[in-house]
Amino acid sequence: MSQVRAKDLTKIFNGIKAVDDLTIEIRDGNITGIIGPNGSGKTTLVNILTGVIPFEKGSVIVSETKREKVKPFNIHAYGITRTFQAVRLFEQMSVLDNILVVLTERNVFSALFERHKIHHISEAEAILKGVNLWEKKDDNVERLSYGQRKLLEIARAIAMKSEIYFFDEPFAGLFPEMRKIVIDIIYDLKIQDKTVVLIEHDIELIRGLCDRVIVMNAGTLLAEGKPEDVLKDKRVIAAYLGD
Amino acid sequence: MDIFIQLTLNGLIAGSIYALVALGFNLSYGTMRFFDLGYSALIAVGGYTVFFLSRQIGLPLPISILIGTIMAGIAGYIIYLLVYVPLRKRKASNMALLVASLGIFTVIQAVIGIFFSSQFRTLSGPVDAERIFHVFGGSITRIQVIILGTSIVVMFALAIIFRFTTFGKSIRAIGDSEEVSKIVGINTSRIIGYVLFIGSAIAGLVGILVGFDTGITPTMGFSLLLKGVVASIIGGVGNVYGGVVGALFLGLIENYGIWHISTEWKDAIAFGLLILFLYFRPQGIFRK
Repeated sequence: MSQVRAKDLTKIFNGIKAVDDLTIEIRDGNITGIIGPNGSGKTTLVNILTGVIPFEKGSVIVSETKREKVKPFNIHAYGITRTFQAVRLFEQMSVLDNILVVLTERNVFSALFERHKIHHISEAEAILKGVNLWEKKDDNVERLSYGQRKLLEIARAIAMKSEIYFFDEPFAGLFPEMRKIVIDIIYDLKIQDKTVVLIEHDIELIRGLCDRVIVMNAGTLLAEGKPEDVLKDKRVIAAYLGD
Repeated sequence: MDIFIQLTLNGLIAGSIYALVALGFNLSYGTMRFFDLGYSALIAVGGYTVFFLSRQIGLPLPISILIGTIMAGIAGYIIYLLVYVPLRKRKASNMALLVASLGIFTVIQAVIGIFFSSQFRTLSGPVDAERIFHVFGGSITRIQVIILGTSIVVMFALAIIFRFTTFGKSIRAIGDSEEVSKIVGINTSRIIGYVLFIGSAIAGLVGILVGFDTGITPTMGFSLLLKGVVASIIGGVGNVYGGVVGALFLGLIENYGIWHISTEWKDAIAFGLLILFLYFRPQGIFRK
């Protein structure tokens, strides 16, 4: 079953079609990799599916409900969360607060009086320990290294307890031990039957992690299917992998 | 020495008023990211509501003060819903929002002028506002003690909300990135609405306190807003605690500055200080 579908999706930037009449599906409980050359529209597609940018034409279907528009505030209700290619944290806050802020009461009025309780702190502790950042819990996020920032953003996404996770280049710039942490997190999500979408350039990671791969080129769908089949596709090799 | 104590007291009193204005302004600026001129009119809304309720209707002063504060908060919230929400939905630029807020400021000020005239009015009541206390050789009136006390209570209450509640964390998150806040499920438009209610209520409270100390006019809020903004820039725009420090610093410098010269120089000193900060430390005392 598909959890997210894009149907005839088109996004135009300054007259150029960044996403061109694209129809794809992201299947429930799968790890789906999106690959393609730079400028092929991968991040634009994820930005559309997560409401960060609007689209001109087409529709997005989430859990069988058709959406003509996707707004960033709604994606939480759709069970979607994401990370960004360029890490976006709450810079004024400590590492712990970056997690606690999403473990909150959603009712604004009660949030006015609500303090984080022990179970929130325990939950944040478990999540931060999972990315080796518990020791840094009181540090302002500005003091973290690039890799630690990337891990914290992933940890914040995990804290959202969503059904669908979009990770935009989660391994970029990470040391091997950090990459292993992210791989473990993704496998853990898979075990929990969550849906994961990875934008990634590392073909070996895609081959090893993903159940399905979507290949984009110039805003269009070039190929999709199992990694072992797609990565052998001559069109994919010609457009993206080279010789 | 006595004059130094007196100037220090005057500086702290002025600073605490500026601090309240800066707090409210920073709450609004920190979440909506534009210079909300309409905020200044809400200062007068608080003052004139108390004037109307206590002097013209005859309600007890504590109830009038409570209603005046809430009324300013509600006015701020309604302005947000009717003007800023639709404009922000249409992706209006900060300049468009600024112009809209100028319009709000003009309308509110004019309406107050129509109903109450532009004449200077004073608030008074059972509180013996003019009673004088002597502190280390300086003098301070009862209402000025109340101003200082109220400022401290409001500052601590906001500090607790900011630091310890999930609401406070959400405000800080929105201040960092409204878009990411939305993505992580924070109801940003409702939080901003509540923030504006709180900020506007603080503005109303300022109008009431100043009304008891020096009186009210429909335009009273504008110069106070400017001082609050100067304090915010000195402290670090968007930094709520910085705004408070900047306000106290501004209040003290303004008053020490007129030790040997006319009080007319106060504004020149305040804006001279602003220029110095913009030139040498544009990020303010504390970075955001």
